[in-house]
Amino acid sequence: MNAPNATPEATLAVDTPPASRRRATLIVAALLALVAASFATLDLQLAAFLEPDAVGKMREFAGGFFPPEASPAFLAKLAWASLETLAMSALGTLIAMVVGLLLAILAARAPRTAGSALLRSGVRLLLNALRSIPELVWAALWVIAAGLGPFPGTLALAAHTVGVLGRLFADTLENLPAAPARALRDNGASESAVFLYATLPQATPQLMSYSLYRWENNIRAASILGVVGAGGLGQMLHFHLSLFQMREAASVIVAMLAIVAMVDALSHVARRRLTGS
Amino acid sequence: MIERPRGDSHILSLRGVGKRYGPRWVLRDVAMTLAPGELVALLGESGAGKSTLLNLIAGLEAPDAGEIELAGVPVHTLDADASAGLRRSTLGFQFQAFHLIAHMSAAHNVAIPLLLNGIGQSEALARAQEVLAQVGLGERGASLPSELSGGEQQRVALARALVHRPALLLADEPTGNLDPVTADVALSLLAEQVRGRGAALLMVTHSEHAAAIADRRFRLGPDGLVPA
Repeated sequence: MNAPNATPEATLAVDTPPASRRRATLIVAALLALVAASFATLDLQLAAFLEPDAVGKMREFAGGFFPPEASPAFLAKLAWASLETLAMSALGTLIAMVVGLLLAILAARAPRTAGSALLRSGVRLLLNALRSIPELVWAALWVIAAGLGPFPGTLALAAHTVGVLGRLFADTLENLPAAPARALRDNGASESAVFLYATLPQATPQLMSYSLYRWENNIRAASILGVVGAGGLGQMLHFHLSLFQMREAASVIVAMLAIVAMVDALSHVARRRLTGS
Repeated sequence: MIERPRGDSHILSLRGVGKRYGPRWVLRDVAMTLAPGELVALLGESGAGKSTLLNLIAGLEAPDAGEIELAGVPVHTLDADASAGLRRSTLGFQFQAFHLIAHMSAAHNVAIPLLLNGIGQSEALARAQEVLAQVGLGERGASLPSELSGGEQQRVALARALVHRPALLLADEPTGNLDPVTADVALSLLAEQVRGRGAALLMVTHSEHAAAIADRRFRLGPDGLVPA
């Protein structure tokens, strides 16, 4: 029995059964043991990292970035690569939105027959598989198939993002209020009319919000896909770092930061407007 | 194309209708007829099968026994497309929760049955505006449902149910979400508009007060459908 004036915290403490406390203690102890084992087995050499020689080399390496390269010819190349990165992320996201929506419709349908249940499970499995493979692995695969440049980068972003957006879109469609669709169906609307008049307009703000958020992610991903030869700023960064052209690399990094910040800000404003929050 | 037999004096005819979910029969041996222009109330407690009966009449669910004829067409024999076609042309619906589409204006909501029947947007909106005026909302056509009171939303739902001049209006607890005063106004308007158009009304309700507007009343219970 709890004391009549017990605070919620006190009630919680009094009511926590001994078995739960023992289990929680065991979990925390196991986690601590895992962390200790990780430090013990890894050859981290923290002391070497902080040696004066290492610190000096780091200072020299970081100093090489300044001042960033700003010649007009280089800035023109940088602007073109930035556009390529933006285009890759935008096109990859757009493809993912269209394909993801088509797959989401199949994944969100109520399974009325054994065949439709099988199709729904198959599509959900495909979406899981697509998003389980990271963009960088997709890019490496597409570079083999489609050669170097922004095209494989775009396909890589699209492939991973279809998996992510398809799942998010399917969940959105499943959780929509049923009343508008019911009203249309009762009035004799076909399933396509129900989708166009009720489902899609209701879902659009949430679908756009998810898409913009994924575009933000894809800008960041597009910036590093170039490392495996998929074009854009990433490829430029990889090229200059490989040749130890640190001032050029610094300019590329600044351009990456600027693009990500710009798209983050735009996307944030757009998502707030769409969701009314 | 749905062929309608001529000379049938009933807009709705139910014979021995039954429906079960698993082993449990929620409706058993339901029989009734409804003449054009007649207002009928169907009373019953929650879970008596009132809404299920409306779904069967509309062809949204299939009966497990009996026959249902709507405007002379055997609803229970239709496939999904034919059933949807019959609903578009013959039925109007009014729900307890109104079921208005939140992102559409009142006029667009009312115009939906006309648009679904292939009428062009401008004509559909003009006719929707006319019916909105008839239910006292001539000035609110551009308003979104969220900008309307409960009573106003109920009137928009009534306008939507009647705009395509259906032969039969099915109403499911049409005043269940309204306060008593607003409900009285809404019921008077419902009866007036249905009678004015020569349509028939089948209203399910658990309210004796709401059922008072009807010409005939039935009660749906464990013994089936009996006059109330």
